[in-house]
Amino acid sequence: MSPVTRIAREEWRLWMRSKVVVAAALIVATLLAATTLLTINRIAAEQSERLEQQIAAEKTFFAQPDRHPHRMVHYGHYAFRPPPPLAMFEPGVDAVTGQSIFLEGHRQNTAMFADTKAAADLGGFAALTPASLYQLLLPLLLIVLGHALFLRERESGTLAVMLAQGQSGTKLAAGKALALLTVITIFMIPLVAVAVYSTSLGESGLAAFSLVGGYFVYLCVWGAIVLAASIILKQRAVSLGVLIFAWLFAALVVPRFAINASSAMVDAPGKIESDLVMLAEQRKLGDGHNAADPAFQRLQAEVLEQYEVETIEELPINWRGVVASYSEAELTELLNGYAEKRMNLEAAQSRIFDFFGLASPTIAISSASRTLSGTDLATHHRFLRESETLRFDFVQSLNEVHAEELDYAIDMNRNAGPEASRRARVNAEAWQVLDEFRFVPDSAGERTSRAMMSMGTLTFWLLLAVAFVFISARRVRL
Amino acid sequence: MNSPLETRSLSLKREGNAVLDKVSFTVAQGEIFALLGGNGAGKSSTLLTFLGFLEPSGGEVLVNGQSVASDVTAARNAIAYLPEATSLYGHMTAYENLDYFLDLAGRSAGVDELNAAFDRVALPIEARSRRLQSYSKGMRQKTAIALALLRETPILLLDEPTSGLDPVAIDEFHDLVKALAQGGQTILMVTHDVYGACQVADRVGLLRRGKLVGSFSAENGQRIDTETVHAAFAEREAA
Repeated sequence: MSPVTRIAREEWRLWMRSKVVVAAALIVATLLAATTLLTINRIAAEQSERLEQQIAAEKTFFAQPDRHPHRMVHYGHYAFRPPPPLAMFEPGVDAVTGQSIFLEGHRQNTAMFADTKAAADLGGFAALTPASLYQLLLPLLLIVLGHALFLRERESGTLAVMLAQGQSGTKLAAGKALALLTVITIFMIPLVAVAVYSTSLGESGLAAFSLVGGYFVYLCVWGAIVLAASIILKQRAVSLGVLIFAWLFAALVVPRFAINASSAMVDAPGKIESDLVMLAEQRKLGDGHNAADPAFQRLQAEVLEQYEVETIEELPINWRGVVASYSEAELTELLNGYAEKRMNLEAAQSRIFDFFGLASPTIAISSASRTLSGTDLATHHRFLRESETLRFDFVQSLNEVHAEELDYAIDMNRNAGPEASRRARVNAEAWQVLDEFRFVPDSAGERTSRAMMSMGTLTFWLLLAVAFVFISARRVRL
Repeated sequence: MNSPLETRSLSLKREGNAVLDKVSFTVAQGEIFALLGGNGAGKSSTLLTFLGFLEPSGGEVLVNGQSVASDVTAARNAIAYLPEATSLYGHMTAYENLDYFLDLAGRSAGVDELNAAFDRVALPIEARSRRLQSYSKGMRQKTAIALALLRETPILLLDEPTSGLDPVAIDEFHDLVKALAQGGQTILMVTHDVYGACQVADRVGLLRRGKLVGSFSAENGQRIDTETVHAAFAEREAA
């Protein structure tokens, strides 16, 4: 057995014989296992529920009886964002963005949360996810295990004995590093199990194992920082204090500061705030329900000219449907303009936040983790865009039905009594205009490519920390 | 022929303070040389320079004629070192401690060999499989000595080796050291125990505030006179 392996083995002997270490490891292992199982259970349930709800929403829409087409525009439809398989490890932005949207005419609604699930979590305990344990708790356990790796030898005098046996500081550091590396490898087992399970649910192996690799590098960064502190510092209490401070700084202070800094640098109004600003402009576009609104006079002139007729009653199509379609297009352009602006600002904030990964490896891994899991902001934005496309398409298809399949005179007379109302309905077969909507995460290649910056930042951290360990180990003194 | 241990005008500074000032001595093969001095005289620091743990600010330190600075690994491979605070692992048994440190030194020893070493230092059989955290200081010291013996190096550095041992164990230890020297091992020990140094050493050097201020040798097969050394020690310390 090489000296490096032997040193690592003896470190393990100490850990195994230390009740405190074993107890700490057992607590973390239990917490990790429990959180992973609970999150898997929750996400798996949500995944099947949302898919079922999506199918049910489509069936309900298709099952609507003969109606006036504009009633169907307001009857609306739901778009659901099922969690991707890796959300069982990293729910990402799900907790703050909502997972379903009610789609209807003339509005871009805010994404909603599943109330039944949220009600059970009024205390916010669901925020304790496997990803947050890996990002926050495991570095802390590495600190507990490793802050005295070298210092213990130095303080007890065994460092002198070890060096006196002809071993160099570099070999001692390599042995200690190997011991920590085996701990980190054991830490990775639950994540590897999740990765394998996620591939059985259709997740790409590339994304799943890039996630495993990312967390492995992240924990190695912490392992190297812990080892370097243990070599450089002279007292165990100082080492523990410095490392806890570093953990607080990297895991809590920098992320909090990064959030504030990105918000301060890019002022992004929320959905409700932009909706209020938008209302004033929306009014200028005219009311699509009122075909006589002066805002549509120019449109009326153009359409009459196009069909070479004098009055709207002479048109071969239903003028109210034309107005509804035109109004929806104008309104959607306005809404999309605001939505894109808001999403671009949010994306800019997110980029600034990611940049702080250079100050905290925790930020780098959290960003890579969300991206690789398909639960990042970009994925949510894509969901918003795709659901908006779905909304616009089905609303405009219904408006087309309104314009082409319902006579204008009958339509205008629809409130004259039950029979007139019945005549102003179109056949339910027309509801088949709704496209099937199945939201899927980006391809693994796309996600991996988007996570490159964060993964690169993590690699930079690792190289820096390992170089620090190497340089300190070469200068080991009693 | 090169002396196994030698210092030439060795000077050492730690945190800006002079610890050793132009100390020169040699220790011949098979010789027991005791460096005697009070607290802070620089005794332990002298030992650590032979292991390359401390870098001299002046002069030279040689092991088997080779500068320690040029090849510290060769120096460490030639030396077995018994530190002042018996530094072994409390969570391991005596067997495990020795197995580990010998492994690090690139040497392996079977149970019989380990037991033979424990027998030589009179470590009780029942204690050998117990963790060192339950040992007395004397038992820890015996375990450390057993490790030094098993290293089978030509040079042995002992830092306050009898500290914490009872009188019987001290006598046994002195006998052991003498036997090792007779077997050809070169021994440098540092101590503030005048009586013990005179009992066991062939030569005693008196170190005071980093300077070698006196040397006493055994002559005509007689032991070094304790009274003389004690008087010199007391006089120098009082000066």
